Amino acid sequence: MLFSGIPFLYYFLPCVLLLYFITPKKLKNLTLLLTSLVFYAWGEPRLVILMLITVSIGYGFGLLTEFVPRVKRLWLILALVFELGFLVYFKYVDFFITNFNAVTGLSVPLLQVALPIGISFYTFQIVSYNIDVYRGDVPAQRNPIDLAAYIALFPQLIAGPIVRYSDVVAQLKERTHSFDKIALGIRRFILGLSKKILIANVLGELCDTFKASDDKSVLFYWIYAIAFCLHVYFDFSGYSDMAIGLGKIFGFDFMENFNYPFISKSATEFWRRWHMSLGSWFRDYVYIPMGGSRVNKGRMFLNILVVWLLTGFWHGAAWNFIVWGLYFAVLLLIEKVFILKFLNKSKVLSHIYLLFFVMISFVIFNAASMGEAFEYIGAMFGAGDNPLISAETLYYLRSYIVVIVIAAIGATPLPKKLVSAPKFLQYAEPVVLLGLLAVCTAYLVDGSFNPFLYFRF
Amino acid sequence: MKIKNIITVLLCAVFLFGMSAWCFSGQTPEYSESERRLLEGFPEVSWDKISSGKFASEFEKYSTDRFPMRDTFRTIKAYARLYGFMQKDNNDLFTADGHLSKVIYPHNPVMTDHATELFSTVRDKYFPNLDKDTENKIYLAVIPDKNRYLAADNGYLSLDYDEINTIIQEKMPYANYIEVSDLLSADDYYFTDTHWRQDKIVDVAERLKAEMNHKSSVEYKENIMPYDFNGVYVGQSALIVEPDTITYLTNDIIDNLVVEGANGVYDMTKVQSKDPYEMFLSGTQPVIKLTNPKNTTGDRLVIFRDSFGSSIAPLLVDAYSEVTLVDLRYVNSSILDMFVDFSDADVLFMYSTVLLNDSLSMK
Repeated sequence: MLFSGIPFLYYFLPCVLLLYFITPKKLKNLTLLLTSLVFYAWGEPRLVILMLITVSIGYGFGLLTEFVPRVKRLWLILALVFELGFLVYFKYVDFFITNFNAVTGLSVPLLQVALPIGISFYTFQIVSYNIDVYRGDVPAQRNPIDLAAYIALFPQLIAGPIVRYSDVVAQLKERTHSFDKIALGIRRFILGLSKKILIANVLGELCDTFKASDDKSVLFYWIYAIAFCLHVYFDFSGYSDMAIGLGKIFGFDFMENFNYPFISKSATEFWRRWHMSLGSWFRDYVYIPMGGSRVNKGRMFLNILVVWLLTGFWHGAAWNFIVWGLYFAVLLLIEKVFILKFLNKSKVLSHIYLLFFVMISFVIFNAASMGEAFEYIGAMFGAGDNPLISAETLYYLRSYIVVIVIAAIGATPLPKKLVSAPKFLQYAEPVVLLGLLAVCTAYLVDGSFNPFLYFRF
Repeated sequence: MKIKNIITVLLCAVFLFGMSAWCFSGQTPEYSESERRLLEGFPEVSWDKISSGKFASEFEKYSTDRFPMRDTFRTIKAYARLYGFMQKDNNDLFTADGHLSKVIYPHNPVMTDHATELFSTVRDKYFPNLDKDTENKIYLAVIPDKNRYLAADNGYLSLDYDEINTIIQEKMPYANYIEVSDLLSADDYYFTDTHWRQDKIVDVAERLKAEMNHKSSVEYKENIMPYDFNGVYVGQSALIVEPDTITYLTNDIIDNLVVEGANGVYDMTKVQSKDPYEMFLSGTQPVIKLTNPKNTTGDRLVIFRDSFGSSIAPLLVDAYSEVTLVDLRYVNSSILDMFVDFSDADVLFMYSTVLLNDSLSMK
């Protein structure tokens, strides 16, 4: 079920809110767990079992780690084998078979396993739980309902942020609900919904139009690259805003996932601001355990390459995602060794540098194959027989320019500053939020374009 | 700030729970008058459907289609998109020069080929001896949609109409091409509909008759239908616009026509229907025969046509003793001889670019 859909907004959410707030305090987690299972089962009822098995494994090995600490490394390894094994099987097995066939010339049949929604997110959450228990950072959770509620919690189940158990363990036991917090949650949710429906979906439409066009021009390739960058950002950060907002309504404080990444001046800074929960997960559970940067240079470079290869691969079982991850690894290494000190000297140049390389990265990210990625990037620089400009390009530019400009400005802290300055705007906030909710509903009622990119991760 | 937060929660809660209760009540129409379509019903509940995820996707369609105040929300979206975000079109619909219209782009050569191949098959089967220069002849007229006069000038994507005409003429070398686009302008079409206005196409009818060697000019009386005509684009666009009025032409010849296959030349039962344009020869009919007792020449014309033909056919009939209209969307071309007599008849293929660019419905 999508947050940005009528079934969620006007059927599921009101029922959950009613149930949750009339439920006695000690049963609230159970309510959240059961409704989250319904949420997950809505599109894929069978795969809810896989999630429950994963939770059970995490729960069991968590307890074993605490009660039989003598072999706690073994418990951790077993937990990771099962949890990551499921992820590898369901997400990557066909990718491995395809490449095995390509290398060996064999034709091992593909398993064509359906990808369970959100498996990458909930696997990383349960893995972080088991590692944290192993490290002794948190005690193992005795109550299976609380642990299952943490993993299955529908606001963050299918698209993050990747909430750490250590961050919410206290809130699972005791959390506060107040008008102020609920209002904050509503505001965050509606803003996220608006980012998703009014900006991301519209830009996604433009990207699809570009892909379907037989009249592409050089300018159209650039418009596509810009539009897709903004589309991914508004799609994913919008969803994260909705998740954080819903979390607040239910009394949770989830970590932020985006912090205006496009205002960064380097790729290093960009990744401190983009999908922060994933970045910090890889930092804490892969990069630092491998030695991080407190090792010799060669080893550090290897660590960075491994982390970014995994980051790319996490996003999808295809070569373009691996190349995308390695592309950032190379950029980060170049920055670390050579250009970071120069980038810090010129704000304008560093912004242009960052935006250019991020834009190219997302062309790779969204390509159906590496061949397509090279074709698109080449076409942006005049390769191929495309005209510089075409009537179709101009039409779509004129049609989408306002949305693109709003998105570009909206990706900076400027709107927040403008809105928080005059007092009267703050008082108008409830009406503005209601208006946005109505307009979003209108787009949903009349629209058909409503995919969510991060579902596949 | 506390008050602001309380107001936020209360306002949003009232909206959310109010709309939700309305959704759950199921008290929403099953048919959309504005979109002219049946809305999705509640999906059948079965374990197979639930476990395959089909129930979820059908429920998504149901909940979207049957959302309370659907038309109002569609209007909000149309205005937000066209005037808030200043996008050029909403679901491909746009307004220009006071007209509502729909982007028809790009040219679909597969569809044009399908249409011309079908016409050639029909010709080979039913009147293989007719050509450009035989006694009875084959004619071709392509009716441009109103975007020819609206789109490019207003910055919208437009078909290359000249190119389409050339392609069609090349594919139908056996037909005499009759150019009509120079006689038309945007205002010869309804403001809110795709079709042309009968009162504005008398010159087109005269051109057709003259080019088919049946030159004739007759007087008509203009009759204005006393009802609003909200064309097909009104509902689709969800915009609030001034309605059109339908003007229809009569004279002694039209009044005395014998009509088979339709409920009269002007079907008054359709005037207040979902599509009042269907008043012209009862709209979607497979085969219609118009017999003109006032013309005793015995000349006959068979017109292969789409809905544009319904309003112009009454203006051609004065030059013939009999005019037969065939709509290949509603009668299969393989059984035409059961309904149509092609002997000693001229044949006119008269189609709009709308259909020629989307011709799969013709069989």
